[in-house]
Amino acid sequence: MTTFDSRSLGQASELYDLTIAELRPAAEGVVSLELRAPDGADLPEWQPGAHIDVLLSNGIVRQYSLCGDPSLRDRWRIGVLREPSSRGGSSHIHEQLRQGDTLTVAGPRNNFRLVEADRYLFVAGGIGITPMLPMIRSAAAQGKPWTLLYGGRSRRSMAFLDEIAGLAGGETHIVPQDEMGLLDLQKFLGQHQPDTLVYCCGPGPLIDAVEAKCQVWRAGALHLERFAPSDRAARKEKGSFEVELARSGQRLVIPPYRSILDVLKENGCQVTNSCCAGICGTCLVKVLSGVPDHNDDVLSIEDQEAGEVMLVCVSRSKSELLVLDL
Amino acid sequence: MVDVRRVRGGDGLAEINDELDQILDSVVENTRLATESFFASYDKNPDPKVLAAWLAPRAWREIDYVFLLNEQIRRYGLEFERKHITLLAKQSFQEAEHYEIVGKAIESLGGKVPTSVPPEAKPWSDFLWDCLERHPLAAIAAWNCSETSASGSFEPTFKAGERHDFAEVVRVYKQIETDEKFHVGLGRQVLAAYAKTDHDRDEILRAMRGMRDIAWKTFTPESVAQARSA
Repeated sequence: MTTFDSRSLGQASELYDLTIAELRPAAEGVVSLELRAPDGADLPEWQPGAHIDVLLSNGIVRQYSLCGDPSLRDRWRIGVLREPSSRGGSSHIHEQLRQGDTLTVAGPRNNFRLVEADRYLFVAGGIGITPMLPMIRSAAAQGKPWTLLYGGRSRRSMAFLDEIAGLAGGETHIVPQDEMGLLDLQKFLGQHQPDTLVYCCGPGPLIDAVEAKCQVWRAGALHLERFAPSDRAARKEKGSFEVELARSGQRLVIPPYRSILDVLKENGCQVTNSCCAGICGTCLVKVLSGVPDHNDDVLSIEDQEAGEVMLVCVSRSKSELLVLDL
Repeated sequence: MVDVRRVRGGDGLAEINDELDQILDSVVENTRLATESFFASYDKNPDPKVLAAWLAPRAWREIDYVFLLNEQIRRYGLEFERKHITLLAKQSFQEAEHYEIVGKAIESLGGKVPTSVPPEAKPWSDFLWDCLERHPLAAIAAWNCSETSASGSFEPTFKAGERHDFAEVVRVYKQIETDEKFHVGLGRQVLAAYAKTDHDRDEILRAMRGMRDIAWKTFTPESVAQARSA
């Protein structure tokens, strides 16, 4: 799943040259790639929700969710939708890559973790099914009740349907639009269920609709991953940037004249603070991804250079997106 | 990771930083010991009015800081950068909030919130105001030492709160603990930014040493007993 139209990696990551052990169609316009180390060695561990950066030979970098089984340590699997407006990312993968080719990747990184809950509702649109597959497997393995709402243009375009049919212990609703219309979000999200976490991945309109329905749910119940930066980001002013709250997937635009702390507070995210001047250090937040632009007076130069924490009252971002451990 | 004593913003304290840290470490430790001693005594006789009496000089400190900070700004503020005037005023506002919330905690324990300086807090208050008369940075040094001293009282207070279930006092002091990081960092930054001469540094050291010997005393059980018998 492509998450950002980025031509460079957001942070330093270890690179791996992996062999495409299998490349096969997974649905109309979707291919599944299984990647392995050339010597068959185990690959780094990952958890459901993780993604890798794929560095294509044409210089383009794309992010794709890992959609295989985390317990199979010698292989990673990704699903790639050929985007109609592709500018060399997914079209390159579909047209140029062949089984046996080598692909350079970085990661895995995880900004969409599966948080412990009594039950789960997974909402996927199109290729947004990819991060959901390992999440569902994990929920099923733990004996947690789960429900999957999976929508797509048509049954032929919906990837991994056979695999989904074999997942145990849950309730699956496959909704091809040409047969059944849009997902019935009101039915599943219209009423807050306190013991349930909602995970959603898909195109912008679906994410926006799910976000709107979840207004009545408790803060933190909804976890999102978008295919691309939100429309709000696309409309952003010069000097603004986006912050993603890793625990909920919520994205916020920080305008040039407002602090991250102010925008967090406005959106119901409480962060301890006092001075709002970069002196007390009480609003220290862990940075999971992106490059902070430090403006405080109290973090050591070493901590500032490491970029792993920041004070959200005064500091900003040198990258388009900061992912914070909130 | 965050040490507010190492806040950036000036190098006027470079020659005396080590000694200042020793003074502050000493007053934090003495305050911790005094607080532990108070709660050891309180464990034997957990009378809420005794706890209220222990909190009374704390409440006075909060409101006396408000008076002092505003007078500091009025007398010397225009020698500082505008951001420091703003931040000192912000500290003053937070101290007023602390007076209000500590006051409510005292009342919830059946005590009376001081509206004039309690006798046991008078040496502390007199020293603070004398410092203001002596030098533009001396009162800031004195309250910086006093504010730092309070950090020694937090953990023993929180532990006693669990034993005796005074959740409101703990809640109040959790907020004060957060704000005091700001106040301690701000004081250190102002001192480092505006101390230029050996005379400035001598006055800062004098104020800190003097407050080191005073700040912890109202945390002791003896101070509370004396106040209640008066």
